[in-house]
Amino acid sequence: MNDIKNLARMANRIREGLMQLKQSRYVELNRQLTNLTSQLQRLTTESRKMGASVSRGWFSAAQRCCKNVNNLLGEVVYSLPRIRPLAEKPQKEIPKLMLLIDELDGLQKEFGDIEFDASRNTISVVTEPITLEDIYLGPFKIQLEINKLDQLYYSSPYLVIALEPNPAATDDGVTHPHVNSEKLCEGDGSAAIRTALEKGRICDFFTIVRSILNTYSPDSPYVSLDNWDGTTCYDCGYTMNSENSYFCQYCENDYCAECSTYCRHCEETVCLGCSGQCTYCEEMLCRNCVSGCEECDEMFCPSCLEDDVCPNCKEEQENENEQPETEIKESENTGQSETETTEVKLAR
Amino acid sequence: MRILYINNDGSGFADYVNSPEGTTVEQFFNEQMPGRKETDFLIRVNRQPIARDYILQEGDRVTVTPTKIEGALV
Repeated sequence: MNDIKNLARMANRIREGLMQLKQSRYVELNRQLTNLTSQLQRLTTESRKMGASVSRGWFSAAQRCCKNVNNLLGEVVYSLPRIRPLAEKPQKEIPKLMLLIDELDGLQKEFGDIEFDASRNTISVVTEPITLEDIYLGPFKIQLEINKLDQLYYSSPYLVIALEPNPAATDDGVTHPHVNSEKLCEGDGSAAIRTALEKGRICDFFTIVRSILNTYSPDSPYVSLDNWDGTTCYDCGYTMNSENSYFCQYCENDYCAECSTYCRHCEETVCLGCSGQCTYCEEMLCRNCVSGCEECDEMFCPSCLEDDVCPNCKEEQENENEQPETEIKESENTGQSETETTEVKLAR
Repeated sequence: MRILYINNDGSGFADYVNSPEGTTVEQFFNEQMPGRKETDFLIRVNRQPIARDYILQEGDRVTVTPTKIEGALV
């Protein structure tokens, strides 16, 4: 447990961070205003050019001005909603040192202990081990980075670090359904987190983050708990995420990319076990699209069969049909010469 | 009496509210959060856990934080 002296040191650092945050708002507002002023000056220039063009009857030049004005108005419309919230915010009072010490004291009582890293300027607490829907995710360290408090309106000035990581099978960075690369997806807690931090309610900030960690929202996790351990390929056993999993509608199992293919005829995904290869063109086919040749019973794709006969059998049939005709012709030729011989004999 | 009420459900607003003398924490919660269950919230008075029959005093600071908050991509 930290003594009052240590809590005062932490409180002082937080106060400095909040001062930076207060200043950053004005700096950002000034930056946005500079952008807006520049856009308005460009609009003034275009207005002058437009006046000159119209008075001289240069309508092509006037049209170019219209295009530029249109683009500039788009930029102004984009800038205004960014400026207004910064300008609207009332001035935030920086909490007094004693109030921050009380906050840290409350935090210490709530979480048992606070870790203060003076060199890195961080304050951390550790949650109880977290289990969601029977999946053990372990305890998490919530680490507030005081140096980054001034970035509160653009990014999260804290990390959520898994101390006994049990990451999703498909992504090592996802240590909790709502934590990716140590960043928390705040969801419904976003506004409350920002309000708590900007008002110096440090204890509230940590308890809100803890409440998010203790809740599973199945609607939009990085990795759903149903797929936490991944999907196993039914054929080779490879663990894959849902995006790389292919469902075979014939055997109703999930397969990896290596163990699945698609039918070149109907384009349905199919596993290698439920697919077949056309004997002639060697394209992969699903069970529905493969057909047998009436003659040889081999499997072929619909485009390779002609009248339910494969190209090989078709060729054989044609050869067989050609053969008797040749024989007839030959026999006809033979018969004619014999007659001629007889006629010659009779003439003699 | 004036109570500083901090509600971390939603936007996390903080404001002073007036409450009759002798109001317990439980009554205060039911008045501020009608239809909600106390068990779904972490209720602290002056940053300390308290019994539900604690009688609020002038200037007390009551914090209400949901125990479950849905995280999601924003």
